[in-house]
Amino acid sequence: MTAVSIRSTSKVFNAGKPNQVEALRDVSLEVRGGEFVSLIGPSGCGKSTLLRLIANLLEPTAGEVIVNDKPAARARLDQDYGMAFQQAGLFEWRTVQKNIELPLELKGWNKAERAVRAKEMLHLVQLPEFADHHPWQLSGGMQQRIAIARALAAHPPLLLMDEPFGALDEMTREYMQGELLRICAATGTTVVFVTHSIPEAVYLSSRVVVMSPRPGRITKTVEVSLGADRNEDTRNRTAFFEAITAVREGLRGLHAAHVGRGSDER
Amino acid sequence: MSDEHVSMNLFATRLAKVLPAAAFGALFFGFWEWAVRFFDLKPYFLTAPSAIWQQFVGNFSLIRGAATVSGTNALIGLVAGIVLGVAMSFVLSRFGFLNQLITPLAVALNAVPIFVLVAVLNNMYSITSEIPRRIMVALVVYFIVLVNVARGLTEVSPTHVELMRSYAASDVAILRKVRIPNALPFLFVSLKIAAPAAVITAFVSEYFGGSQNGLGSRISSNIANSKNAVAWAYVLAACLLGLLFYAVSVVLEGFNRKGEAR
Repeated sequence: MTAVSIRSTSKVFNAGKPNQVEALRDVSLEVRGGEFVSLIGPSGCGKSTLLRLIANLLEPTAGEVIVNDKPAARARLDQDYGMAFQQAGLFEWRTVQKNIELPLELKGWNKAERAVRAKEMLHLVQLPEFADHHPWQLSGGMQQRIAIARALAAHPPLLLMDEPFGALDEMTREYMQGELLRICAATGTTVVFVTHSIPEAVYLSSRVVVMSPRPGRITKTVEVSLGADRNEDTRNRTAFFEAITAVREGLRGLHAAHVGRGSDER
Repeated sequence: MSDEHVSMNLFATRLAKVLPAAAFGALFFGFWEWAVRFFDLKPYFLTAPSAIWQQFVGNFSLIRGAATVSGTNALIGLVAGIVLGVAMSFVLSRFGFLNQLITPLAVALNAVPIFVLVAVLNNMYSITSEIPRRIMVALVVYFIVLVNVARGLTEVSPTHVELMRSYAASDVAILRKVRIPNALPFLFVSLKIAAPAAVITAFVSEYFGGSQNGLGSRISSNIANSKNAVAWAYVLAACLLGLLFYAVSVVLEGFNRKGEAR
């Protein structure tokens, strides 16, 4: 089953105006159900834009985006995906439980159903005792776990994440990566994950997609053969380092091409 | 630690917060009283606090009547201004171009003493009407509330809006679940500014003619008759009325915070 299919898609912001920006050029990508795909690239390479095209928070200038076998706009209306951002984005006037219930409220679930599901999600992210807390009473890592619980509350088949661990310290970050893998394994969720950390991309992903600087294109895809069972020892395995090297070379190649472009191209 | 212990500690910390201010106040009035007696200051120059208090107690029923008139004007104007300000801020947040048009004007008006307009309003109504004063209070409050609540409705976290759009939430749902909760603290902050401003506007409006029944007009007429201690007693009442309005707005804000269990 194909979870996401991006076909020859381009995105130009402010087309025809002086501040026109070509963010993505002719991008094609298939994500199979159950896959964990990371998008990596330098700042401003359009990886967040690509994620927002999948989420239908932006419309492509050319090409089409299919999510869950339907047009992205339909998939958004059907809440076929959950989303998490760099800021946990919890509503400070809502308790933790009410935050998790929000997508269910918008789907029209009744109070009892919502409470049952919220409790279930709190157990999934291992924070059941924090249901009645308010977001500011939680650490950054805990807030991000609640944000993930909220994104998955309606059991969407797809999870879209935009640098969700970018604001966390290194120790918390590695812990969260382990948690995310555990949660995704438990729920069978497909993930598209934007990051600019190479080890993070490799540790989490079955496939790492390397993107070029603006206009963003996919320049390399690295298959990560670490298997499904990953733990802290995975970070010491040769295959882990090999994948990191492969991704780094992908990014370096880009860098060289980017620097040399002034004289070679045009 | 027992509950009793905790509440005792809480009481002690509160007392420690209030004590310096109370001590300073007592010292200030003590110095004032002493200065008037020691330098033998004439009542038209400076009246002693004890004399003011005497007049306040002696004229209490008159003062209370005048305070009720001014207080009623302030309250009616305040409520009307809040209702109108909140209503207009919804309109502004819905139509961005209106916001760009009106908000800078409203911000500028907040920096101008627009209560002088009451002189114009007085000409529109009969000389004994309280309506011009109430309209004036409402106008002052309206702009304060408008500017703040419109900000609360529009300055929401972009992540929150993207999140709601990812849930396919309608504009109405975004308004109810993001914009309005976000604007509530702004409303209470504007209330804390608007409540004392309403009282001040109600007093000052009385200086521009109309019935001689409120605190403001009594202050000016007593000073005109050289009854300075009585005028000061009315000033004291004006201070107390202003404090009352402010205190109520602080309590209301407290309720809002408790609602959020902060």
